[in-house]
Amino acid sequence: MSDAPPPLREGPTALDRTIEVVLTAGLLASGGMLVAGLASGRAAFLKWGILILMATPVARVVVVTLGLLRERDWLFAAVSLWILAVLASSVYFASGR
Amino acid sequence: MTAVPAGLLFLTGAGTGLIGALLGLGGGVFLVPILTLVLDVPIRAAIAASLISVIATASASATVNLNRGLVNMRLGLVLEVATSVGGLAGGIAAAHLTHRQLFLTFAATLGVMGTLMAARSGRRNVLPHSSTEDPGRLGGHLREGSTLYMYRVKRLPAGLLASLVAGAISGLLGVGGGIVKVPALNTFCGIPIRVAAATSTFMIGVTAAASAFIYFSRGDVVLPMTAAVCLGALPASLLGARLSERVHARSLKMLMAVVLFVVGARMALAGL
Repeated sequence: MSDAPPPLREGPTALDRTIEVVLTAGLLASGGMLVAGLASGRAAFLKWGILILMATPVARVVVVTLGLLRERDWLFAAVSLWILAVLASSVYFASGR
Repeated sequence: MTAVPAGLLFLTGAGTGLIGALLGLGGGVFLVPILTLVLDVPIRAAIAASLISVIATASASATVNLNRGLVNMRLGLVLEVATSVGGLAGGIAAAHLTHRQLFLTFAATLGVMGTLMAARSGRRNVLPHSSTEDPGRLGGHLREGSTLYMYRVKRLPAGLLASLVAGAISGLLGVGGGIVKVPALNTFCGIPIRVAAATSTFMIGVTAAASAFIYFSRGDVVLPMTAAVCLGALPASLLGARLSERVHARSLKMLMAVVLFVVGARMALAGL
């Protein structure tokens, strides 16, 4: 965003790290639920395991949006908010059936 | 639906997750054909299971790729605008297409992409870095061995169009769309193949989620089958993503081209 020459960006940024943590947490929670569901035969665990898995990318977009707002990168934060709106409309469309 | 043993589903998920992560895809492009053609799973259930498994594979691969600094997040965000809209539209439209139309669309797409990938496998898309060169808002850097390369993003509209198509195919066929995006980003937009694969994988979770909720609400997600496939895909894709660094860019492209042709031919046969 600045007028300075672009910094030589190599390796993960702080936001990359945060996203990594969010994705890992979502996958662990989902995987745990799915294992519990298959082992116990209880559909509720399977259902929640799959819902958590589907929600993991959504949580990732929320984190990216917050990270970009913090970096005051308004243009890309707006882009990220648009993606959240598309995901929200998908959930809205799905729940309306 | 005939009951497929959970162990077989687990292995199928593991195999497709491993290869998917290795190639920088979600793996759905292999999972849907295996579930429908080999395991006799009805196509709607296979597509739904694949979409959700693709989220698992893409998210697991993304953790590895983020750690390596391979993901170009701003480029990913811009392209996600197109993939998420495509995914949503594809998910809604999926109910209105015949199986035959779906199979043939799939086959044709793979054929075109395989040709592009094979034809361009020898090209390099990166320039050695010099401090005076500006990669632009969306470009970036990539280290290969001891050399640092710089790349710019060319023809962004072509990348957006490919992402829209990839999203729509994802929503229609239960694949993540990496099979369309990776070759297109590499060939048209000049993104190095590793960055293209990592950034595409980063986007796939969102693309698949945009239509997964719709499949879920339609009741297409068969819970135990999907769970077994995802549990296989999770650890295997972490392994595949780690191994992918050892594969050379050129052999990665050739391997993808071969895979595109083989899967395309099988899907065409199924559609005819």
